[in-house]
Amino acid sequence: MSRFVRKIRKWTVDALDLPSDLVFDLPRLTLIGGKQLYIENHRGVVHFSPESLQLELSQGTLEVEGSGLVIREIMPQEVVIEGRIHGIKYRGMEES
Amino acid sequence: MKSPVFSQLRGAVGVLVRGGSIERLINELAGQGIEIWDLQPLPDGSMKMTMHVADFFRLRPLLRRTGCRVRVQHRSGLPFALLRLWGRKWFVFGFALFIAVIFSLSQLVWDIEVNGNVEIPEEDVLKIAREEGLYPFQWIFALPRQDKLSAELNRKLPGTSWVGVSRTGTRVSIQIVEATQPKEKKLMSPRHLISTADAVITYIYAEKGQPEVKKNDRVKKGQILISGFQGGGQVVSKGEVKGNVWHEYRIEVPLVRKQRVYTGEKKEQGYLYFGNTAIQLSGYGKTPFEHYQVMTEFNPLTWRSFKLPIGWMSEKVLETTELEIKLSKDKAIRDGIERAKRDIVAKNGADSVVLSQKILHEKTDNGKVYMKVLFEVEQNIAEELPIVHDQGE
Repeated sequence: MSRFVRKIRKWTVDALDLPSDLVFDLPRLTLIGGKQLYIENHRGVVHFSPESLQLELSQGTLEVEGSGLVIREIMPQEVVIEGRIHGIKYRGMEES
Repeated sequence: MKSPVFSQLRGAVGVLVRGGSIERLINELAGQGIEIWDLQPLPDGSMKMTMHVADFFRLRPLLRRTGCRVRVQHRSGLPFALLRLWGRKWFVFGFALFIAVIFSLSQLVWDIEVNGNVEIPEEDVLKIAREEGLYPFQWIFALPRQDKLSAELNRKLPGTSWVGVSRTGTRVSIQIVEATQPKEKKLMSPRHLISTADAVITYIYAEKGQPEVKKNDRVKKGQILISGFQGGGQVVSKGEVKGNVWHEYRIEVPLVRKQRVYTGEKKEQGYLYFGNTAIQLSGYGKTPFEHYQVMTEFNPLTWRSFKLPIGWMSEKVLETTELEIKLSKDKAIRDGIERAKRDIVAKNGADSVVLSQKILHEKTDNGKVYMKVLFEVEQNIAEELPIVHDQGE
């Protein structure tokens, strides 16, 4: 994505007050207590063990830490995780 | 999102994936739109997951590409249930047969009842119903329509004013309302009405037949009052004839009347009885009375309306004594006449009226009153006499 296109998009989001996950293709996470986590807009599973789940995103990776993790459901864009979730970490972001 | 009901209908398999890069397999599966759920990594690096049966057979090329191996752990859902059922196909067949038999038996007419018939025999009704296609073990759906059936039955059964056919379940009831028929007259042979006694006619009314006597005529016993020969033909004569008749009574009335009365003294005896055998339980001892009457009362054991042949029998022994009541002569005469009047009414019909009475003679002898009384009574004197045809000489 060229710099110019990104700038145009950022301007559009600010000007029109659009949700940025739609426009920038950013992940949307919904955490219900420490038990259930919906992640939309992921790019695939990198690593999966009972203690951690690493997901690839459009930019960087997302790591979910916990114990007894289970993928309840997985679809090309969405994943539902259940278990005791202790932490969510973002890695390798270009810019915030 | 997946629906648990539909995934059970399609059938699901739980598989254990080992070796290779499982994460790549997951990504490939998700990428191809193969639904997988309940992914659970195990400590030894393998992973459990669940997918649809149809998708399981699309798994093979992906496994080769990712170097994973797969083993089926459990199966659930409708296709597998059907498969198990197929193993017991004769049981399933029997069950289906059972349902079919029950269903077809409930589609039969089992019972036909006929209500409300008094004169028309039930057999006739059932016979005509059979002609119309209503009989036991007939299919219910093969029956004619109910209004048509009742109309046909009504038309074919003489003497009915309405016939209704109704069905509840497997029972058909035919309700009949019979037409009221005029009463048939009894056949009677031509007859006269003759006198039963010597009398003076006080009233004559001939409904049918030729009256032969008038009011105030004297008639002899056996004389024809209303003749059966009328207008050259013979009729059944009918009518009412009353006349004054004299009855002579000899009456004797005793002047002393004996009457039994209770003294009030009594003794009770109790028995337990079985059938015809009774065992006395109370009231032993000789009966201390010279004259007595015994009243027996049974109290059988009952259960609902059944009387058991076992029960309690109580006997009451009541002392009696004879009272002598002396009558005056006048009272004795009155009693005697009263008795005679009752006798007249009993012998000559309830519509008899005693017009007058006359004591012809009376005498008292041996404690009794003897008398001779003449009663004048107005009573029905007509009697039927069939006309006998001359058989020729």
